[in-house]
Amino acid sequence: MDASSTHPLVTHAPGGFHAPGGTLDRFGPPAIQAEHLEVRYRNKVVWKDATFDVRPGEFVAVIGPNGAGKTTLFRMLLGLHWPSVGTLSVLGATPHRGNPRIGYVPQRHTIDSETHLECDKLVRLGYPGTRWGPGGRFRPTMWGPRFRLRGEREAAENALEDVGASELASKSLGSLSGGELQRVFLAEALVGNPDMLLLDEPLSNLDLRRSRELVETIHGLVQARGVTTLLVAHDINPMIKCLDKVIYIANGRVATGAPSDVLTSESLTALYGVHVEVLRDSRNNIVIVGGEDDRGEEGA
Amino acid sequence: MSGAAAGPPFSWNLVSDLRAMLAFEFMRNAFAAGTMIALVAGVIGYFVVLRRSSFASHALGHTGFSGAAAAVLVGVQPVYGLLVFTIATATGMAFLGNRAASRDVEIGTVLAFALALGLLFLSLYQGYATEAYSILFGEVLGISAAGVSFTIWTGLLVLAVVVIIYRPLLFASLDEDVAEAKGYPMRFLNLAFMILLAVTISIAVQIIGVLLIFALMVTPAAIAVRLTKRVLWAVVLAVLIAMAATWAGLFIGWYEPYPVSFFIVGIVFMAYVCVRGMSALQSSAFLQAVDAPESEGVRALGRASLAAALSQVLLVAGGVVLLVDLLAFPNAAWNPGRLARHALPAVLLLGAGAVAGATSFVLYFSGFRRMATSSREFTNPAFLTLMGILGISLAAAGLVLFLAGVALTSSSYPLAPVAELFGVPFLFLGIILSVVGLFGQAVGSWKVGLRYQERSLRTGAVLMIVPMVGNALSFLGYRRALARGPPPASSTP
Repeated sequence: MDASSTHPLVTHAPGGFHAPGGTLDRFGPPAIQAEHLEVRYRNKVVWKDATFDVRPGEFVAVIGPNGAGKTTLFRMLLGLHWPSVGTLSVLGATPHRGNPRIGYVPQRHTIDSETHLECDKLVRLGYPGTRWGPGGRFRPTMWGPRFRLRGEREAAENALEDVGASELASKSLGSLSGGELQRVFLAEALVGNPDMLLLDEPLSNLDLRRSRELVETIHGLVQARGVTTLLVAHDINPMIKCLDKVIYIANGRVATGAPSDVLTSESLTALYGVHVEVLRDSRNNIVIVGGEDDRGEEGA
Repeated sequence: MSGAAAGPPFSWNLVSDLRAMLAFEFMRNAFAAGTMIALVAGVIGYFVVLRRSSFASHALGHTGFSGAAAAVLVGVQPVYGLLVFTIATATGMAFLGNRAASRDVEIGTVLAFALALGLLFLSLYQGYATEAYSILFGEVLGISAAGVSFTIWTGLLVLAVVVIIYRPLLFASLDEDVAEAKGYPMRFLNLAFMILLAVTISIAVQIIGVLLIFALMVTPAAIAVRLTKRVLWAVVLAVLIAMAATWAGLFIGWYEPYPVSFFIVGIVFMAYVCVRGMSALQSSAFLQAVDAPESEGVRALGRASLAAALSQVLLVAGGVVLLVDLLAFPNAAWNPGRLARHALPAVLLLGAGAVAGATSFVLYFSGFRRMATSSREFTNPAFLTLMGILGISLAAAGLVLFLAGVALTSSSYPLAPVAELFGVPFLFLGIILSVVGLFGQAVGSWKVGLRYQERSLRTGAVLMIVPMVGNALSFLGYRRALARGPPPASSTP
């Protein structure tokens, strides 16, 4: 599709509500533009008629209940899954597999504690390009030919430093805590200097304090590198202060906008089609009541 | 004891032993094929461990059994049947999906059917027992020259493919989702790996058999990943372990009337037990901090060095007496009965030395353990000394087993060879571990010397390679350190 076509920053959710976009000081073509997107998974419609865009450098949370199609959205952006209806453009092109401009951290439950492998190695594998062979070449030196890797080591060191995990480089993957692992995965995604980061549930196994720390790291990256970041999460509270935009997927529909606009009783009621109440506590934490079988979804 | 073939008996000149072995073509073939197979199995085994598809490799071996049996039935080399059946199964597994290789119920079902099929084929064939035996447990001494060249070329092909797909395969094994997003051809990689695995198993079955394939394919790599976090080192270590086991197995099998496969698997198993035992010890309660003042640790270390010096005096004296004894009675047979008659003083001296040595190890351990409470840097010496204690116990057990074996060989007691088979390895392993313990004591003494700024301790630590001198010097050093008192509090973490 035409990437330069300007789409209004106002998103129309099928429920009839509308919400203005995030901070509007970013110009240029959108990093992601979706129009009337419909997604099927095994011939079942996951969600449909989604129209939204994400500006370059925005920090976006993708929120929604289990099985709502959050990971499917990522798989589409990565070119691993195709929309059945509608158009999608990522960084000015149709999504394609192996896009070096996207760094991806998939949802991983744990890593086997028996994985005795240096973190540094995993990070280096993230270095851009699909490469074959042993990953280096012999270079002549004073002491005869020596096997050299191509710039990977430095890139991996920088990436680990950027996520505050330099000291983990030579540790074994299996020995890391959940928070440390997420930092290493983040470094793996960053090592290719991507323009967009897709992080699938990086906070799922972390306690609130670790979640906040990781979000701070990610937010720092978003600001320092200007990298557009989409983060799938169950709980929006750890990051609510630094978000530019929320993509809320539920009930087969997608709503987009600034957090303060999407996370209101009215907009979520419209999205779910049943009455949903958004409550805020004294510290502005959000609790959503109703919507899914009358169970509280977001907790603080 | 030379059971496998008619060669000269074992001498301690390993080079001439090896030369005598290699004079026979079947031994040359066995060594050549065994080396190549160990190389390939170590490399592929690393990925098997990384991908957690060890059960799949076990099952591929079993489907190979039916293939080999079918080949025997139609009158071709078993290895071709192995290749056809394992590659077919591997392809099927690859197409079933990425995670099929870890579905144990499905694999187990196929595995049982494959074994039954092999049984059927073999029952249709006349020469039932020996063929089945060699397919199930391997027959390394039966590899022909043609078989060797086939093994070597196939092995080289596998290694070449691994070099080409190394990086994508590593990525896909470690981080499937990201590798897929990066655009690596996951299906192709999966298929390629399964076929490499099938080919490796097919050639490895020749020496180790389908039932024992695990020991050569998986265990060396499983040991290697526990010893290093680096991919390349792990692969190299896995290859070295597989190779050492194969060579040692062939070597021992030459002199012993027992199957080579047993020795190969036995060596790999012992290495595995050692590595697992080491990590278990490392996290055991023995190494936890104890509530005791540091001065008590130094005092224990002083006593330890005294006991060690004493033990070395006794051992050296015993050795000298024994040597004199040997020179005086050169023609007497080397057996326990003779030792009892002619060398009783030597044996008593050596025994007393061993007891004193064991005491010194225990004292060193308790000393380092107390020091470790004040400073974590003494944890490693304590651990190494603990390994040494383990080594002394193993060596003692090995010695008892060996002597029992030697004593019982003359009478036709059926357990004699077993005692001997386990006695010698225990003794060797025990001695190696004891040396590790001695090394730990030297390192620990050096560290105490640094901590207390006591030069005689550091000199003593270096001189520990000289019997008596090092420990005697260390004893003086520990006394001076004790008199001087603990170092300033700033160096206590």
